[in-house]
Amino acid sequence: MTELETKIRAEAERLLTEHVVDVVIAFRQEDAPLHPQPAFFTRAEELESLTYNGLCANNLANYLTRYPQETRIGMVVRGCENRSVNALLVEKQHIRENLVLLGIPCEGILDWRRIVALTGENVLSVEEKDDSVIVHTHENTFELSRVELLHPSCQRCLHPNPISADVLLGEPKPEGDPTLMRLRIEELEKLTPTERNAWFKHEAERCIRCYACREACPMCYCTECFVDHTEPRWTESGVTPAGMQAWHIIRAFHQTGRCTSCGACERACPMDIQMTYLTDKLNLDMADAYQFEVGMDAETQPPFATLTLDDKNRFIAQGKRS
Amino acid sequence: MTYRLPKKDLDQTLRGWANQAEVFAPQKREGYAQFLPWEAGNELLLDEPHNTRFPPKAFFLPQSETLLTYNRKLSQLEMPALQISPRIIFGIRPCDARAVALLDTVFATQENPDPYWQARREQTILIGVGCNQPATTCFCTSVGSSPFAHAGLDALLIDLGEAYLVERFTERGEALFANLASADANDIEQAGNIQKQAEALLETAFITDNLKDHLDQIFDSSLWGEFAQSCLGCGICTFLCPTCFCFDIVDEAQRDERVRNWDTCMFRVYSLEASGHNPRPTRAERTRQRLMHKFSYWLEHADQFGCTGCGRCVRYCPVGLDIRAMIRKAVATPSEAVHVN
Repeated sequence: MTELETKIRAEAERLLTEHVVDVVIAFRQEDAPLHPQPAFFTRAEELESLTYNGLCANNLANYLTRYPQETRIGMVVRGCENRSVNALLVEKQHIRENLVLLGIPCEGILDWRRIVALTGENVLSVEEKDDSVIVHTHENTFELSRVELLHPSCQRCLHPNPISADVLLGEPKPEGDPTLMRLRIEELEKLTPTERNAWFKHEAERCIRCYACREACPMCYCTECFVDHTEPRWTESGVTPAGMQAWHIIRAFHQTGRCTSCGACERACPMDIQMTYLTDKLNLDMADAYQFEVGMDAETQPPFATLTLDDKNRFIAQGKRS
Repeated sequence: MTYRLPKKDLDQTLRGWANQAEVFAPQKREGYAQFLPWEAGNELLLDEPHNTRFPPKAFFLPQSETLLTYNRKLSQLEMPALQISPRIIFGIRPCDARAVALLDTVFATQENPDPYWQARREQTILIGVGCNQPATTCFCTSVGSSPFAHAGLDALLIDLGEAYLVERFTERGEALFANLASADANDIEQAGNIQKQAEALLETAFITDNLKDHLDQIFDSSLWGEFAQSCLGCGICTFLCPTCFCFDIVDEAQRDERVRNWDTCMFRVYSLEASGHNPRPTRAERTRQRLMHKFSYWLEHADQFGCTGCGRCVRYCPVGLDIRAMIRKAVATPSEAVHVN
């Protein structure tokens, strides 16, 4: 058990034994060394299986909307999860007083697919040591560089530290480099429209419409998603180019001013489809046009969810056509 | 009889096949193994421990297919011509081939044959390659099969290093491997050892004795709700599953087509009725349905589990839910403790 795990367990135990919360949402490890699972602890005795390591790939804020607002929840949050919680609080999806956020300054999530690509199958265990990751397989032991194994969204992460945690477990990490996300988007913007369209189609057309991206996203909590709506139907039903492209573009647009660039959508995708380039572009637009960054507090509404009379585009207030 | 195919002759063999049929073989694209049309010189992924990411059931039951076109003015329906040209799928794993054989019990029954499935099945030859190195997510031996099983295959190749041992099971398989030298006693012994070694790598994932009856008895257990706590309700496990076959039929009215799409019991809308009632209202009932279908209901119609142990659902579940662990927990749940409401 790592020092950090000991700290998380101690906090979780305190929250549960002192009845501060009803449930602690964290991770646990079963047999699979590459896949820790989201876990929901309601009794201190269960905490023995609590795990925390770089392979904990899910955004736990995703589970917040499954609980009634009265439920008092303790949750392990990294930088992105904390901001997702804030974005959900902005949308009145829970009550801040009923949350205890156990903050973890994040070193980034390790991409298990990269590990398998480098070490082959049959991974038996993974150890993290400072800047390296040691992977034991049936046949070999590999020492890999941590940075190279990070999920792309984590490589570009701006805010690894939880910004409104109730308890901070671990030393804060340095903030990320804002140029990294911008550089990637600028690379795409350099392409001609035809090339960009080809890029978009190439990614979207591998989609199998399993909606893992939607289900892994804390902000996709609609009771009925537009693709499931039947009257009227908004998209084609099948895995046709039109249906898949419509899904990808509309999913992204619904995230405008709501996405924290956590990358949970890409990590869940079974077909390795890149999709954060769409939401990252929207996030940059939000920053450039409105100086807005998602989830930096629990009150500020996203620009597209607000209407003020001093809006510089006066067309709605004055009834003019734009 | 078993035969010997030197590896250096494989390319020539595939060239010969490509003259008479479209040949598909596992190749890497987008970073993972896929069945793609084979062309001379393509690098094949025949010794990857795991199988292609997308299941080969799609060769027979495409994720989306047009069943009918209609003309509303003339009140006419038309079935598209099912002109499937001959296909050879080379390098399919025994678990995936067995899945196709299992799906024959659904789509190729005497009473209700599915013409779309049948047309594709009749034109397709399955040539397997056994798994010398099963992956940690594999569990075929726990569900009544093996890394060298024959079910669904026309022929099976076993990798002996310099050559393949070839076993032929059907006339179509025999025709594709005519004029091969017989395997000698050494080859046969080596193949036997490889099989034993591979099987030894596969641990017992769960005990299947009496599994169906037990699952039926714990239908009302709270266990399903425990699994559902972390389940995202996405379609990965069922869409990547080689045996899941549920589909939905939709009219794409904008182009006058009636379309069949894969569907999944993991989606909320799967069992949602027009009235608004949903007999499987939460992820708990939906998770239960997935496991019950595979390990209880399949036995009722096919007398086999609807799982071939390919491990895709284990490998790609985004929250690390492992069907093996779920069945182990179900087995460990005492039926007496279940309250029936």
